[in-house]
Amino acid sequence: MTTSDAGRMETALADTADLRVWDLPVRVMHWLLAIGIGVCWWSGVNNELEYHLWSGYAVLWIVLMRLYWGLVGSSTARFVNFVRGPKAILNYASTLHRRDTPHSHGHNALGAISIVLMLGLVLGVVGLGLFAVDVDGLYSGPLSSYVTFKQGRHLAHSHYYWFEILLWVIGLHLAAVLFYFIYKRQNLVGPMISGKRQVKHQGELGHEEMKIAPLWRFVIGAVAVTAIVYAVSIGFYF
Amino acid sequence: MSAFGFGRIAAAAFVVLGFAVVQVAAGPAEIAQIKPRQDKLRDMGGALKAINDEIKKGRIDWDNTVIPNAQTIKDRSAYLLNWFPKGSGPETGKKTYALPAIWQKNDDFQKLGKAAQAEAAKLNDIALKKDEAGLKAQALATGKACKACHDNYRSPDYEKENEDE
Repeated sequence: MTTSDAGRMETALADTADLRVWDLPVRVMHWLLAIGIGVCWWSGVNNELEYHLWSGYAVLWIVLMRLYWGLVGSSTARFVNFVRGPKAILNYASTLHRRDTPHSHGHNALGAISIVLMLGLVLGVVGLGLFAVDVDGLYSGPLSSYVTFKQGRHLAHSHYYWFEILLWVIGLHLAAVLFYFIYKRQNLVGPMISGKRQVKHQGELGHEEMKIAPLWRFVIGAVAVTAIVYAVSIGFYF
Repeated sequence: MSAFGFGRIAAAAFVVLGFAVVQVAAGPAEIAQIKPRQDKLRDMGGALKAINDEIKKGRIDWDNTVIPNAQTIKDRSAYLLNWFPKGSGPETGKKTYALPAIWQKNDDFQKLGKAAQAEAAKLNDIALKKDEAGLKAQALATGKACKACHDNYRSPDYEKENEDE
């Protein structure tokens, strides 16, 4: 008998179990992204553009890795497994007011929209930042040499404008987490830290176990994404 | 009435009138500074960007880009402190990111302005010498000298809107 068999046996007996929901890369990327965006926000508002450049590269790296992991990562990280069509989203939304709905395994249909929206906005805001020019012509984005000063200033303003939109979506994301905690009594923060969620009822064990992607796959992506971000950071002037 | 007395009265009248004229003329003359100073400062930012672009590219075009742009920054910086006469701030009612602190802490403002002039002059020397190693450090120092003033004396609102529209 293997240890996991023993685990399942115990589960059956105790009627509670830990179900793995998020793998390590997803959790680490999530919290690093939150910190990275925080540093970007602070350094941008305070015009500390030297730090803003570095934190921007970090955020770009994380987002590109998350997109890559959304294609080849663990089952709950993959876009094909959580991005749903309008019908599934409406179905899910119609149960939102109920308190007895079961946990979604991974992102729920409605949350998936905000995940895609946030990733897209972060990528868009960073993309604008790459071409943005600061008013001093001092710490401009790494690709700003491809645009004029005036164009770069306009892009800097768009960079600022879209970041504000991103902040609203992040606010919505936080409000949703709070709503689940207070109204639905579902703690979504805990699993994003531990990776596991306690399953109380046997019925819930019907969920598929998360298929964990091997770490070497993450390493390969990390090497490629690091090369891309490096090339961007030097403006492709090799 | 003695000539002396008339002279004093005339002088006093001149002073009073002079004040009145200054007071009346203050508005338009100071308002007239705002747009040109924004244009000139923007040109200086663009000039520094052009120099930084050359550094990024790693193929520095001294004669066509670095030298003329360093010249622009140096020449403009020499007049920098003349562009901010008292009364040309937000009290004009015009759109300006110049903060009242410029005139409240004018000694510090003048000091930073002179420091920027000194850095701009050094940048120009390095451009003329075509000193590649020195250029990067001096472009940074010059930009920081510009930023030092902007951090304290320019409204952060400039990031929210397109200032040239």
